Amino acid sequence: MTGVPRSSQMPATPSRSAVSMRVLLSNEFGLTALIALTAVVFALTLEGFTSPFSLFAMGRQIGIDTMIGLAMMAVIVTGGLDLSVGAIGVCAAMTFGWLAQTKGVPVLPSVVLAVLLGGGLGFINGFAVVKSGVHSFIITLASMSIFFGIMVFLTKAAAYNGLPAEVSAFGKFKFFKTISPLLLISVASCIGLALLYRFTVLGRQMLAAGANARAAELSGIRTGRVIVACHILTGLLAAMAGLLVVARTGAAVPSMAGQLGQDWLLPAFLAPVLGGTLLSGGRVSVLGTLLGATFVNVLTSGLLLMQVGSFWILAILGSMLLAAVFTDRARQVFLKSRGMI
Amino acid sequence: MSALEVKGVSKSFPGVKALNGVSMTMQAGSIHALLGENGAGKSTLIKIVTGIYQPDAGEVRMNGSPVRFANLRQSAAGGLGVVHQERNLVTRFSVGENILLDRLGKSALSRVDYPAIWREADKWLKLLELDVDPQTPVTRLSVAQMQLVEIGKALSQQSRVLLMDEPTASLTPNETQVLFRILRKLRDDGVAIGFVSHKLEEVFAICDRVTVLRDGQNACDSADMKGMVRGDVVQMMIGRAERITARAPRPMPSAPPLLELKAYASNLGHRDIDLTIRPGEILGLYGLVGAGRSELAKAILGLARQTGGEVRVAGRPVQITSVAEALHTHGIGYVSEDRKAEGLILMHSVLNNSGITIWTRLAGKLGFLRDRRVEAEVSPVLQRLELKTPSLQQTIDNLSGGNQQKVSCAKWIAAGVKLLIIDEPTVGIDIKTKAYMHDLIHELAAGGTAVLLITSDMPEMIDVADRIAVMDGYRIHGLVENDRNYDRMSKAIMGFIHGREAA
Amino acid sequence: MAQPFALGPTARLFDNDWIGPCIVSLIAILAISWFQPAFLSSFNIFVLSSAIAVNMVIALGQLVIIGIGQMNLALGSIGGLVAISFVGVMEKFGIPVPIALAFALGIGVLMGMASGYIIARTMISAFIITLAGLQIFKGINLGITQAQPFYGVPDGVKAFGQASVLGPLPWLLVPMLLASAGVWYMFNRLRIGRHILALGANPHAAELSGIDPKVTIIWAHAVSGLLAATAGVMLVAKLQIGQPTIGDDWLITSFAAPVIGGAVLSGGRVSVGGTFFGVVIIAVITQALVIFNIDPFAVQIVLGALILWAVGINRLREVRIAKLQSMGAKT
Repeated sequence: MTGVPRSSQMPATPSRSAVSMRVLLSNEFGLTALIALTAVVFALTLEGFTSPFSLFAMGRQIGIDTMIGLAMMAVIVTGGLDLSVGAIGVCAAMTFGWLAQTKGVPVLPSVVLAVLLGGGLGFINGFAVVKSGVHSFIITLASMSIFFGIMVFLTKAAAYNGLPAEVSAFGKFKFFKTISPLLLISVASCIGLALLYRFTVLGRQMLAAGANARAAELSGIRTGRVIVACHILTGLLAAMAGLLVVARTGAAVPSMAGQLGQDWLLPAFLAPVLGGTLLSGGRVSVLGTLLGATFVNVLTSGLLLMQVGSFWILAILGSMLLAAVFTDRARQVFLKSRGMI
Repeated sequence: MSALEVKGVSKSFPGVKALNGVSMTMQAGSIHALLGENGAGKSTLIKIVTGIYQPDAGEVRMNGSPVRFANLRQSAAGGLGVVHQERNLVTRFSVGENILLDRLGKSALSRVDYPAIWREADKWLKLLELDVDPQTPVTRLSVAQMQLVEIGKALSQQSRVLLMDEPTASLTPNETQVLFRILRKLRDDGVAIGFVSHKLEEVFAICDRVTVLRDGQNACDSADMKGMVRGDVVQMMIGRAERITARAPRPMPSAPPLLELKAYASNLGHRDIDLTIRPGEILGLYGLVGAGRSELAKAILGLARQTGGEVRVAGRPVQITSVAEALHTHGIGYVSEDRKAEGLILMHSVLNNSGITIWTRLAGKLGFLRDRRVEAEVSPVLQRLELKTPSLQQTIDNLSGGNQQKVSCAKWIAAGVKLLIIDEPTVGIDIKTKAYMHDLIHELAAGGTAVLLITSDMPEMIDVADRIAVMDGYRIHGLVENDRNYDRMSKAIMGFIHGREAA
Repeated sequence: MAQPFALGPTARLFDNDWIGPCIVSLIAILAISWFQPAFLSSFNIFVLSSAIAVNMVIALGQLVIIGIGQMNLALGSIGGLVAISFVGVMEKFGIPVPIALAFALGIGVLMGMASGYIIARTMISAFIITLAGLQIFKGINLGITQAQPFYGVPDGVKAFGQASVLGPLPWLLVPMLLASAGVWYMFNRLRIGRHILALGANPHAAELSGIDPKVTIIWAHAVSGLLAATAGVMLVAKLQIGQPTIGDDWLITSFAAPVIGGAVLSGGRVSVGGTFFGVVIIAVITQALVIFNIDPFAVQIVLGALILWAVGINRLREVRIAKLQSMGAKT
């Protein structure tokens, strides 16, 4: 074990029941149970819920929402946020459209350039936040307006509909009739991020700077650079999310994320918050974000099959965000009262 | 019937029993000193009385009937006035509005009657002999003036019980005398006053009863101060006579200086700072709160801008611009006085906190890092410091103050720094760990580390440091060789501080 | 004893939050009318004033929340839901205008109070609570209307939105003036306003001084809800229709104007006058882009740039004030 002497005055090593209690109360476990329960109920009561196409569509959307959630998660780590994820996603999508359709650049280099553009926009956000010392909310509020405005200005709000055929083919491709490559890309990104936070210096520095920037700085971490890196990561992931949407629709549309990209804000916060990422920074759950996006989409497809109007689903998802933060608060209080955290 | 009575109060936090059956009885018309070393439980007791914490056991009585305040608002409404240790003013508001902030109107939609507020506030300012227009925004006041406004705020509530936590920390002797005159008058009017201070001279000048806490227990409970002398109180506070432990005489290090400041000035306000620290030497930096000591530490680390003079590390002139540079290039580390805000990442594990300084060094290709490598480096250090934790994965928030302090030192020892700046190392930790910390500092110095020790605890300073530099008003006022004779040293040190005031 | 240092008269004038934005808006108006005299035509002044009136009330709704150091993302969705409810009850149930108005403003206050209550009770960040509120209110709005507008706006309301009260000045300026005066009075003369600012400036000190943070937070959000509702109703009158999309585009403006007006987002410092000139700057520039035939989408870019510019200016000023203070403290 650790080689550090145990003490008798310290709270004793958590007993086995306390450990299992902690697992049972963890967000990931709760979500998994919730997903299983909802899925079983829907599968038994709703016709078509388990059809290959329904599963495929659900998985594809889970892939997109996970990527959007990861993008926000990467900056929530710092205790900040990025309102411009939607705008960055659309900018990357339109850049891809312009390169692949107008400029005739092959698909893969276009993808790489579009993702890099996202990273660049993220860098601008991060640089402005660190240099000005102003909260990321106001900086990204401004940059969302600027990025989106420049995009519409340059594209004249016109969509790229004539993308190379392989783009939409990729979006429609199915492994085993049910699994979308979009989902696989997101799962791969989850693995990459999990490795980053768990096994690399940069990832740990991100968590340390997010939990207590002052202490991290005084421990010799260049907090400013680390925060910029978080914003770059957010930009890269937002750009990838934008490209996933392009693959799904087969076109790059300026309105794909709503006015100023605001439509992405709900999925962007819903998945990480459901998954137990702390809004004040310093703690993330990559798996939780994936599960959060999964739960949202299982619920949404079920409700749609039940003929609940999509407008009402918006209200339901909003309520779910509230429920998620309430549950998290209650869980914290419970664990604290038991002295488990 | 006593104005305020604390009976057998206990309070535990994860890993530490802060108070254990503490009692105190404050009478009307009396000034009651509450004393104890840092971490003895004074502030916990005040927080329980004022409703910020709830006691695990025991009770608080006011005028004979038990009270249990859920928060500060309730205790204020219950007739308890408090001057808190930290500043609690809304700086953009006027002096008058701050004094009467909780009495701006009867209901939410009441109109604020400013002329009445200026009049009422002026009364209290006059009483404190503070020559300030109540319409002045607090931003324009000096620190001492703010402190007096804070006191005026508590006085204006005309509470029958008044608790003052270090009210004189930033006051000049003149201002302190004014305050004491007011306190004596209040006492004669029948107010029960609780007085917390580190300055024993003040306690003997004004208090008539005393409660001393040591390690969360009563060393004495509301004793009459008549006939007591300084030595009695100190003995109760530290559990032994005030005697400097006879440490083996240390050879004066003769190696070339590790860090030299020459006529150093910073944008924080430091001027003409001359300091030299050699490897293996413990240099003490003494001063009152606000003297600019922690600020100097941070300036050395590159958190402030150098505006003049010269900094040399190992003989070479340098300009340090970030903590990362201070650590990785020059081997300088800093143990902060504010463990919770600056020293540790409370929500992270022991392992992550003690390894944070060596991640970069241990990382492999592409920045990959395994816990096992960090553990291998950190474990021996933690073992040497006798850290008590259930596991390295334990969240550090759950450890006691003493163990937390060990971790905030361990990360620098693991990093192998050549100069360690230690700021108030024993605030809020128990006596045993305190003695341990002192031994540790000596051990580090014996191993060749240069130590810059910042502390306001005079016995600690005289026990540990080799030489003592005295700072006041962001300047160094003198430097004495420590001969470990308490009386002589404390006179010399206070002489440097007061010498400036007289001038 | 050190005397508090004093500012000279010029310095004091420039210490005001509104003076900078005021000068900028005057210069902008002069410059634009120099190039394009039609800018000061009575028709254009009418259009400009109508836009300023509505945007000012929106900005005030956010300003109250900024004062307390929070943010209200749900502002627009409250305004939108109020707007369609206002027209909806008149169209579907034939309710007279005054009662419909009271009902509409009432639900605005209730929605604000609900957000405020949850934030005060749980102390979860206002950002996430009002983000959830945004989705819920918007979802209810679209669920009720199915994204179709209500057309049954009574003539009296329509007239209010299009008529002028004095020369080229629209009636819409009246509610704006009332709201501005009310918010100014609250922040400067009422206990609740002072408590909001105290809590925003230094929550710890405010609580230690006996201010109840929960009550104060709920009040602030209730006032914000009332202002959002007022703006929603004004837009119904201006647009002559109960559009479900009302409120969708309030977010940026609602933050831009107060920030240009010198408000500090961490709370405790707001300026009604500064916010007004912030609104004027935004309206003038938007209008100018139309007049000079510049792509209307450039408005977004300009708005974003204005926010960054204002944030930069505020930052510089803070640094300067801190410097003055440290000088004052040492004398």
